Amino acid sequence: MSSFIDYTVNGLVIGNIYALLAVGLALIFGVANLINFAHGSVYTIGAYIGWAAITFLHTPLPVTMLIVFVACALVGMLIERVGLRPLQGKARIAPLLATIGLSFVLDQVVQLVFSPDPRAVPSDLPDWRLTIGGGSIGAMDILIAGVGIVSAALLYVFLRFTKLGFAVRATAQDREAAQQMGVNVNAVNSAVFAIASALGGVGGLLVGMYYNHIDPAMSFQATLKGVVAQVIGGVGNVPGAIFGSLLLGLVESYGIALFGTTYRNLFAFVLLIIFLLWLPNGLFGGRSTVHTEPLVGSFIAPSRPLRVPRWAIWALALIAFALPLATGAPYLLQTLTNAWLAALLALSLTLISGTAGQISLGQAALLAIGGYASALLAVDLGAPPIVSIPAAGLITSALGTLLVFPAFRLRGHYIAIATLAIGEIVSLVILNWESLTRGAMGITGIPPLSLFGHEIYSARAVYWLCLAVVVAMALLQSRLLNSHFGRTLRALREDEIAARSYGIGLDRYKALAFAFCGFGAGVSGAITAHLYSYLNDQTFNSQLSLLALTMVILGGMGNVLGAIVGAVALVGLPEIFRVAAEYRILIYGVALLLLIRFRPQGLLGAV
Amino acid sequence: MSFNAGFQFNRLVRPAILAIGLCALGSSAALAQAASGEPVTIGVSGPLTGQNAQYGAQWKKGFDLALEEVNAKGGVKGRPLQYVFEDSQADPRQTVAIAQKFVSDPKIVVELGDFSSTASMAASSIYQRAGLVQFGFTNSHPNFTKGGDFIWSNSVSQADEQPRLAKYAADLGFKRVAVLYLNTDWGRASQNLFSEAAKGYGLDVVASEGYQPDEKDFRSTLVRVRDAKPDAIVLISYYADGALVTRQIRTVGLTTPIVASGSIYSPKFIELAGDAANGVFTASNFFPGDSRPEVKSFVDKFRAKYNEEPDDFNAVAYDTIILLAAVINQYGTDRTAIRDGLAQIKDVPSVIYGKATFDPQTRRVAGARAVYLVVKNGQFVLWDGKKPSAT
Repeated sequence: MSSFIDYTVNGLVIGNIYALLAVGLALIFGVANLINFAHGSVYTIGAYIGWAAITFLHTPLPVTMLIVFVACALVGMLIERVGLRPLQGKARIAPLLATIGLSFVLDQVVQLVFSPDPRAVPSDLPDWRLTIGGGSIGAMDILIAGVGIVSAALLYVFLRFTKLGFAVRATAQDREAAQQMGVNVNAVNSAVFAIASALGGVGGLLVGMYYNHIDPAMSFQATLKGVVAQVIGGVGNVPGAIFGSLLLGLVESYGIALFGTTYRNLFAFVLLIIFLLWLPNGLFGGRSTVHTEPLVGSFIAPSRPLRVPRWAIWALALIAFALPLATGAPYLLQTLTNAWLAALLALSLTLISGTAGQISLGQAALLAIGGYASALLAVDLGAPPIVSIPAAGLITSALGTLLVFPAFRLRGHYIAIATLAIGEIVSLVILNWESLTRGAMGITGIPPLSLFGHEIYSARAVYWLCLAVVVAMALLQSRLLNSHFGRTLRALREDEIAARSYGIGLDRYKALAFAFCGFGAGVSGAITAHLYSYLNDQTFNSQLSLLALTMVILGGMGNVLGAIVGAVALVGLPEIFRVAAEYRILIYGVALLLLIRFRPQGLLGAV
Repeated sequence: MSFNAGFQFNRLVRPAILAIGLCALGSSAALAQAASGEPVTIGVSGPLTGQNAQYGAQWKKGFDLALEEVNAKGGVKGRPLQYVFEDSQADPRQTVAIAQKFVSDPKIVVELGDFSSTASMAASSIYQRAGLVQFGFTNSHPNFTKGGDFIWSNSVSQADEQPRLAKYAADLGFKRVAVLYLNTDWGRASQNLFSEAAKGYGLDVVASEGYQPDEKDFRSTLVRVRDAKPDAIVLISYYADGALVTRQIRTVGLTTPIVASGSIYSPKFIELAGDAANGVFTASNFFPGDSRPEVKSFVDKFRAKYNEEPDDFNAVAYDTIILLAAVINQYGTDRTAIRDGLAQIKDVPSVIYGKATFDPQTRRVAGARAVYLVVKNGQFVLWDGKKPSAT
């Protein structure tokens, strides 16, 4: 019993910490209708500014908090001004991507300025603790809770009773209408980003003090937990975000109590899925917060795709096939092989997200399923790769569709969050299902690719094999898109209700799309497994899912050739920037931002 | 000196050019005594950006120090030794591309890294087939060197390390231990080895909890640990996460003694854990206070160059360059000769091993040194043999 109290207190303490992030995310989502992936980066920046102030200026805590508050508010305004305001009126996917690009840039800047080494953040709070049950809470816990609750209360008052607050709420409800009523929506957005970022930054500082530990890589996990918490609380709902955070903390804590530490995040993401399915408005969201407009249609940039003449495509394919004859450079061929494997993933994602309009942030999970399926078939059952790879494609197709099936009723941002969670769940199941997957040890000794007993390992042969698979899948996909199947998918992307009233079975077509894309991605994962000969739960991580989405958007949503171009560009660019060593990911992030700014519909245009 | 010469060049005519020429000759002649000619290049694949970037940065410090020393003593075969560091972000997709780059570049004579098993082992088959030694100096995965006869490692074998940690816990007089381990291939393998060895020393493992590398909160885990009523907590951690756990053990009010694997050895551990670090026991391969000459010379030089305390990763990186320099110097710069040399070379002075010699069968080094340490007043000091009073 006393342990139960301890788990409860601990759950509330950690929930407290999630709340600091979730509040800012909720505020931004409420107004800008945007999941701000750069929020975690602001949190990191806040922590480092605080660290610098304490270390070099020896500021006391209130002063440090003030410095961080002001500095991060400025960072927030900068993000809004530079990264997001120019994208107004563009498709909603553009700002989402811009925040991803910004988070790359900000994290890299922090790392370059402060070095990647973790730092200790001393706190001058009294070492005072209150005993509760078998455990205790300290001054820092209370300060964090206080900051969370007070800021939520202040926000509530601000939104409810001040003029700017009215403007913020009006903008959140209907941007255009607010603008017509004379609300300066840019100023509102700027204010919202300033407030949310200031809170995020202070949160980073407090959490850094709490753990006495900050590092430049802490932002992604922070964003992830913040997003989960605010969805549970009701997307865009500020008080809801606090309750969502506390509930998330409690569920994680009880999960640890029941099953052990390795299951913690599994519980977090399963909770998220449960909420998305049964309470998509969250604990506190009213019915009205779920947008009834066809989110997805306007989610993707409308554009006229660049027409590439057929002969040019064939010429490109021919050049690609002939390339290994002209150059034997294995580095170039390997990089392009990586690009072909990524292209398979991008092709699958462009069908799901571009053509069918279901934004997926968990696509790497399909690679993982395919990779593990083929590796286990080969290692445990001795199947030759020529059998195990297509089999892995089919398994991924079936399993992937089954996993996403419950999420079919979701739309827009919600499906993105759901797929993100499903991706995390797959990777956590791989980690924990040791009897099948060998857990963290991974699978070693996966046999190399082979065809009828001949091993294929020269860079050239592998290159041709992967290219052939890409070309085959691309042809199949273009063929499908020009059939009634493709038209149906585009119809349900544009307007699900209209599509349904024309008698289209939505679930069936979504299932078909997922099945097709599962096969392609599964084959890509399977080939990767045989190339690497070693897999573990980290081989296909969630960053890869984000990368795949970037490829698809870069090429143009739904555009088959675009997906391949995007994959080649995004696999190739970091290699080209290799000379820049530590700076290359920074350059990559900036390049991405420029692209989103000047060509949000992608290089080849959305289809 | 050269700045002055350059300055003159702008204003004066020919004689000045001659002067620069002489100047340049003079300076390279001074170096020539040390090493000259075409440099011998080692390829390094490791994280300089991304989640594990700090480890890449730690490697560099160790490498640079070792190279200075090697090149001052005449380099290898009279040629200067250098490395090229390719950033992989410890991402397998990038390590395979780097592997192809290295194997097709005739200048690269041996490859070092990558950091994690995920990233390193994905590239092993490329190195093996091309016949370039992949030397993974942080790769403790038990199957890493099974990738082929070109895959070598001087990473401390956990099969040596963990029984030693278990013995230390037993020597300290503990009977019931709770294990917290990093849930990666390294931590999982170590935890298995520890649990097996623990039985032999009469230790009862009463709880075993794996945590994710990016985990920050351990409060609920610690309730589980507390309820198992251990008389010591064993940490199988790196320094950053080890410090987080240690600190939280103390802030939640547990007074249970902590015994940690040697991988936490770093001045950073104490900085991050603060006062909570006091009383932590660890069996480390590397201890700057060690009186062995290899250690003393390394630590002195490291402090002089960087003005900070070296840690385990610095030491391993340093050791590795010294070892490879010895191999290349003795057996030449041919890729296959380096592989054969690794099998033959004996007793290379080493910070971690004292004297390093490979077992040609396992392609690993056995017999890492270890000292029993304890943290006292924010310092790692040798354990005085006193058992902690029972709690």
